Amino acid sequence: MNKALRNPLIYIVFVLPAFLLFLAFFIYPIFTAIDNSFTSWNGISKDVNYIGFDNYATALHDAAFWKSVRNNLYFILFSCFIQVPIIILFSLLIANVKRLKGLYKTAVFAPSIMSTAVIGILWGFIYNPDFGLFNKVLGLFGVESIYWLSDRKWAMISILITNAWQWTGFYIVMVLAAILSIPKELDEAAAIDGATGIQRATKITLPLIMPIISVVIMLSIAGAMKAADIILVMTKGGPAGSTDVMATYMIRYAITSFKHGFGNSIAVLIFLFTLVVTVLYQVLIARRNERIEY
Amino acid sequence: MRAIKKLVPHIFLMAYLLVILYPFLFVLFSSVKTDNQSIATNPFGMPSTIILDNYVNAWVNAKISTYFWNSLYIGVLSACLSILFAAMLAFAVTRMRYNRISAIVFQLILIGMLIPNNSLLLPIYGIMRKLDILNTHIALILPYVANAIPFSVIILAAFMRSLPSEIEEAAVIDGLRSGGLFARIILPLTVPAIVTVFIINFLGNWNEFLLANYFLSNDELRTLPVGMVGFRDAYNTNYAQMSAGIIFSVLPVLIIYAILQEKIIEGVTAGSVKG
Repeated sequence: MNKALRNPLIYIVFVLPAFLLFLAFFIYPIFTAIDNSFTSWNGISKDVNYIGFDNYATALHDAAFWKSVRNNLYFILFSCFIQVPIIILFSLLIANVKRLKGLYKTAVFAPSIMSTAVIGILWGFIYNPDFGLFNKVLGLFGVESIYWLSDRKWAMISILITNAWQWTGFYIVMVLAAILSIPKELDEAAAIDGATGIQRATKITLPLIMPIISVVIMLSIAGAMKAADIILVMTKGGPAGSTDVMATYMIRYAITSFKHGFGNSIAVLIFLFTLVVTVLYQVLIARRNERIEY
Repeated sequence: MRAIKKLVPHIFLMAYLLVILYPFLFVLFSSVKTDNQSIATNPFGMPSTIILDNYVNAWVNAKISTYFWNSLYIGVLSACLSILFAAMLAFAVTRMRYNRISAIVFQLILIGMLIPNNSLLLPIYGIMRKLDILNTHIALILPYVANAIPFSVIILAAFMRSLPSEIEEAAVIDGLRSGGLFARIILPLTVPAIVTVFIINFLGNWNEFLLANYFLSNDELRTLPVGMVGFRDAYNTNYAQMSAGIIFSVLPVLIIYAILQEKIIEGVTAGSVKG
């Protein structure tokens, strides 16, 4: 038994391909990012100058950088305070209807399997000031044309709405699965005791799905830090940097204007920022949600 | 009264459904209209005469067939390779008797999942330039394969751990070595988890935009999402034709989704929770 399963050569052959790829594309890059972040390298030339923390200082003194951090925070806040209540409401509604449950689930989930780039193109059309859906609908009520994606006031919220449109259904299905896995007896017992539908939802179901809500929030934070493609497709960070997030800010400097060293310092800051937000969330909020046993 | 009470949730849900589905209908309707002018005069409904020219023009102008095949083969190949490598590692880690090393390898890979992808974009771009493979499909396939490994390992290892050890005892007594045990016993038993992982990896690769956008500059090599954005930038004055392009790129995914919806929903949500 042990002889068959203790063969060092086979073990190495099995572990190595995946592990080497992992080292080459996760561990090595993060170290080169840290290394390059202390240089003024343009990404091409042979000579590399180390300039200490200058890149970080430049970034932290750049108002445009802080704007991009703020937009990342908007993404997070928008998902926590606007998407999460909608997710809870609609997953409760779907869980409690008898008919059409399958249809709702399938339809609601559909946008999340599609390419964000194509969703960005589609919504760019919907936001079009002259023949887009939004202005046409608002026009029925006599509202003047709004330049959704080229007006600083509206650009960020337009992107947040598109992002929510794509991902809310995904989380609804996740929460729905958690609700449906709660034993029926709990709900029935409460109903016999005379609890109304709303009381059962808030006093029985909601506390029991808190762990999955916590997961939804964690995933939303990760998603908010990942968001870049939707912005590049819809506004390219504009108008005037008002929709930049950290990732698009990084790309602008590193790839488009050849400040590779500076770009890498932003990459490291994205890493740190994600780490801090995740750890803060875990320590401050998630730990209070203890595991639930039925 | 009871009937009305039952109806209320459906009213809300139908409204939600409308919000999700109407944008697609809007694009579908727009794609069979003559030009921007006819979209502007009749934005909401079907046009009186249906024009299919946009589809022909979009197919020719947008080179959708090229982008489509690029996306398909890169997506499938990368997904298969990551599954093969991840399954091998998962097997070695969960089934072979090197517990201490295995625990370290596994923990390291878990940590890798915490690193945000956007932080890795520039260094990987640097690696690709050093290897001089920018502007080839390998520059996408390599990172796609690597990027899917942590997640695939976690799902496959969880599944392999749950297989009873009697199976391999019987197989070893029958004379199989670890290689045969993997290929003939464990891998076939892991197929349900492999299907899940394949769907998630494939969808991720199929929809990926950032790397595909910056690592390839040759139009012939582009994948569907990047090609579509290029098409939009080139023809953004003709929304009717652009709508036809959107339909072309959304349709294959919708068809696959219609057939495999249960598996896809289960796979994607399970994956994200465990990940």
